[in-house]
Amino acid sequence: MVRQDHAMESDDRDVVYRRLFDKKQREYLRTVICDEIIEEHRKSPLGQHTEPLERLLMYFRHAPQRDKYVVKRDGKSGKFRIAQLSGNRDAPLSGVNDREYAAAEETYHEIFLLRVRELMELDA
Amino acid sequence: MAEIKIFGYANKISVKQGDSIDLHVSADGTATADAQLVRLIHGDEHPDGPGFVAREIDHPVNGVWSVKKQFTQLGSYLIVDDSERRLNIGGSFSLFCYVWPTLPNKGRRQCVMGRWDTRTNEGYGLGINPQGRLEFWVGDGKEVDYVMAELPLIKKVWYFVGVSFDHETGTATLYQDGLLNRYNSLIGKVAPYEFSSHVQTKFRFKQKNREDVPFVVAGARDFHELRGRFINDTYSGKIDRFGVCNRVLSREEMDSIRGGRRPAEDSIVAFWDTTAGYTENGIGTSVLDTGPNALTARGVNHPVRCLTGWNWSGKNDCFRLSPSEYGGIEFHQEAVTDCGWEVTKTMRIPGDLRSGAYAIRLRAGDGVGLSEEYIVFFVRPAKPESKLCFLVPTASYLAYANEKLSFDAQIIQPMTGQPPIISDIDIETYKHRDFGLSTYDSYEDGAGVSFSSYKRPIVNMRPKYRISSMNIPWQFPADLSIIGWLEQCGHQYDVITDEDLHREGLAALAPYKCVITGTHPEYVSESMLDAQEDFVALGGRLIYMGGNGYYWCVGFYEDEPWCMEVRKLDSGMRAWAARAGEHYLQTTGEKSGLWRNRGRAPQKLTGVGFIAEGFETSAPFRRMPDSYHRTVSWITEGIEGEIIGDEGLAYGGAAGVELDRYDLSLGTPPHTRIIASSGGHSDNYVLVTEELLYAYAGLVGTLDYRIRADMTYFTAPNNGAVFSTGSIAFGHALPVNNYQNNTSRLLKNVVDNFVKDGELPGGSWTLEEKQWR
Ligand SMILES: [Fe+2]
Repeated sequence: MVRQDHAMESDDRDVVYRRLFDKKQREYLRTVICDEIIEEHRKSPLGQHTEPLERLLMYFRHAPQRDKYVVKRDGKSGKFRIAQLSGNRDAPLSGVNDREYAAAEETYHEIFLLRVRELMELDA
Repeated sequence: MAEIKIFGYANKISVKQGDSIDLHVSADGTATADAQLVRLIHGDEHPDGPGFVAREIDHPVNGVWSVKKQFTQLGSYLIVDDSERRLNIGGSFSLFCYVWPTLPNKGRRQCVMGRWDTRTNEGYGLGINPQGRLEFWVGDGKEVDYVMAELPLIKKVWYFVGVSFDHETGTATLYQDGLLNRYNSLIGKVAPYEFSSHVQTKFRFKQKNREDVPFVVAGARDFHELRGRFINDTYSGKIDRFGVCNRVLSREEMDSIRGGRRPAEDSIVAFWDTTAGYTENGIGTSVLDTGPNALTARGVNHPVRCLTGWNWSGKNDCFRLSPSEYGGIEFHQEAVTDCGWEVTKTMRIPGDLRSGAYAIRLRAGDGVGLSEEYIVFFVRPAKPESKLCFLVPTASYLAYANEKLSFDAQIIQPMTGQPPIISDIDIETYKHRDFGLSTYDSYEDGAGVSFSSYKRPIVNMRPKYRISSMNIPWQFPADLSIIGWLEQCGHQYDVITDEDLHREGLAALAPYKCVITGTHPEYVSESMLDAQEDFVALGGRLIYMGGNGYYWCVGFYEDEPWCMEVRKLDSGMRAWAARAGEHYLQTTGEKSGLWRNRGRAPQKLTGVGFIAEGFETSAPFRRMPDSYHRTVSWITEGIEGEIIGDEGLAYGGAAGVELDRYDLSLGTPPHTRIIASSGGHSDNYVLVTEELLYAYAGLVGTLDYRIRADMTYFTAPNNGAVFSTGSIAFGHALPVNNYQNNTSRLLKNVVDNFVKDGELPGGSWTLEEKQWR
């Protein structure tokens, strides 16, 4: 059932279907998450992956811009932090935590883990 | 203390020895900056390469500069040349125009036309109020009277709007009618909207006109303590023919104008005909007034022209077929094609400054991050003496200038397969918008950006910069890897730019034996393409060092080489799509889009053309059977084994990012040899859309054999030849291990032979042998 209040949140009714679609995606993707997939990503965050991991990554990448994870490079220190797109033009990034990374690549798996955790918690 | 930020631009991208160049600088938090002329050698700080390399050059311009904050006029609009103050109307008058608003619900005032001072509230104006309704207002400096329509304007629908103001009685009559037809608006007739509104009211106050306020279309004059006068309340959307009459027009007279007829001649103060002035080569940025006073309206920040108007019938797809249906001119609140900053310094290029890539490096405070700037320009020789030339793809630098894909493009993470890495400079330029957008971005109303200029700071045309979405150098900083290679290759070389090539054609290339392109020369004008084709046909040697080259058809106004126009359409990997009927360039009259769709696929010039892109891994090339043929084996001389380029600064290989493929069906010269091909690309590499007729599953790297880079070679008439790398990552592979790698070796074989006069190796073979396959 599509709840009426969902349908009224946006002028664009397309959003309603997307929410339902994404929910179905998540239901499936939660079934593929396992230690092996997480280890596969840790070993090589970029490049060709097994099909379940590739599907999981596509779901993460296809998410709307708002709240999407990005990496922030500090111009002075050259260090990296994980951030999110805020949707606010005046302050386009919002911080996630204070942890700093020496290399950008180190953040990729951390972002993946954050996304996996959210996926497991959503729809609960 | 405020954070120190420093930004600048030069008035020229290409200068000759002995020429002068103006530098425009704006700074926050500092009144001085240390300036130093540097020659740029290498720009990628990847640990596997030589890192950032620049040489300081002695010059009188070096030293401490006084700098200050400078302001930028955002938004495109028209400003009327009215030295006789004809539009300083004290009595009754009428205004009218066609509008197609794109952001009527923006929630702030948008002036469509008028002579209005927003600071002092003097004059008159017609526009959209913060409630999204048509409004007319007058002000006398103390009081403002207004009348608004009963209905909000619907976005992307054509309307005829107007007002009559009776100065005697104070009667203001607002006129609004929808003109939606089957083609001209976003929605059709079946959407049950009301469009018409006719409201009459009596004003208590009259307009008082300040002498110095200009008549503006798509904006109004404002004032700010620090920056002085500027244009505010800018409008987003299209406008078609508009005018001013010197008396009250009756409802019937307005009806008649709405239908496309001129007002009574004796009533006209000005009638701007946006369809006047078309030639088969496009139209300029000024809108002509066909009334008695010839009050030309000058375009600022390049309003977009050659667009469908209120009466577009959908039958004709170009202004050349039916100019009267092409009165549309579009304005954007975020457009900027000239920051218009004061000149901070003028410098003369020494007559003996070696041709190359240079910058004025500016540092203030700690000189790191936002407090360091490089204003880049290219120096060409007064008299070419080298045999080798690097053709700097400045048109492609313009296309990508200040792109904001990581922030605004939902597709970017699926495309690049990685989270973006965003720097302080990216955030700064995104926040302030003063430095404008790239042709990869869209305006707030969804329209693609079709003009890009270098009269503004271009933060990604700097050494060290990495494009945030892909985490590699892109365009200029990537091309510095080619410049770094040229510095150590043992040959004297010059640089020239797309701008020089566009203006001078073949003459710019003719002095050279061998021309090397950049990593991604994607945007080319017809004259740039003609010059390179003629250069090769007349015996020149071209090294196409990139991927996805010679792709988009672009144009420039003759007197504005700093501002490029492109429209993206039909097919191709494109960030936006021009609307129906709006596919032709206003700068030249040509159809824009892909050269391939105009009968000039890149394969015809280079042997290869765009086939796939992917961004998280690269692959090496493997030698193909052709490479062992006696006529071409010199290209791989000294290379052991079959693998070429298994290292690189772009994702670890010489074949990657954007890939080009040999294709006889698209005009690859039939005798072209494939020296090497890549393969084994990941599924992040996807087939380009121009290859698609039907979409079907499996058009990705591990499943489609076409997804590869082909390194090709062919000979041309008069001892000419073309060598193509077919890959953007090829250039990024050159600096690995301090240029000691087999990608670099292969390029050296080609260059060493291409700069020699006479026959190429393999050229002494008989015709019959050359036909051998
Ligand atoms: Fe491109």
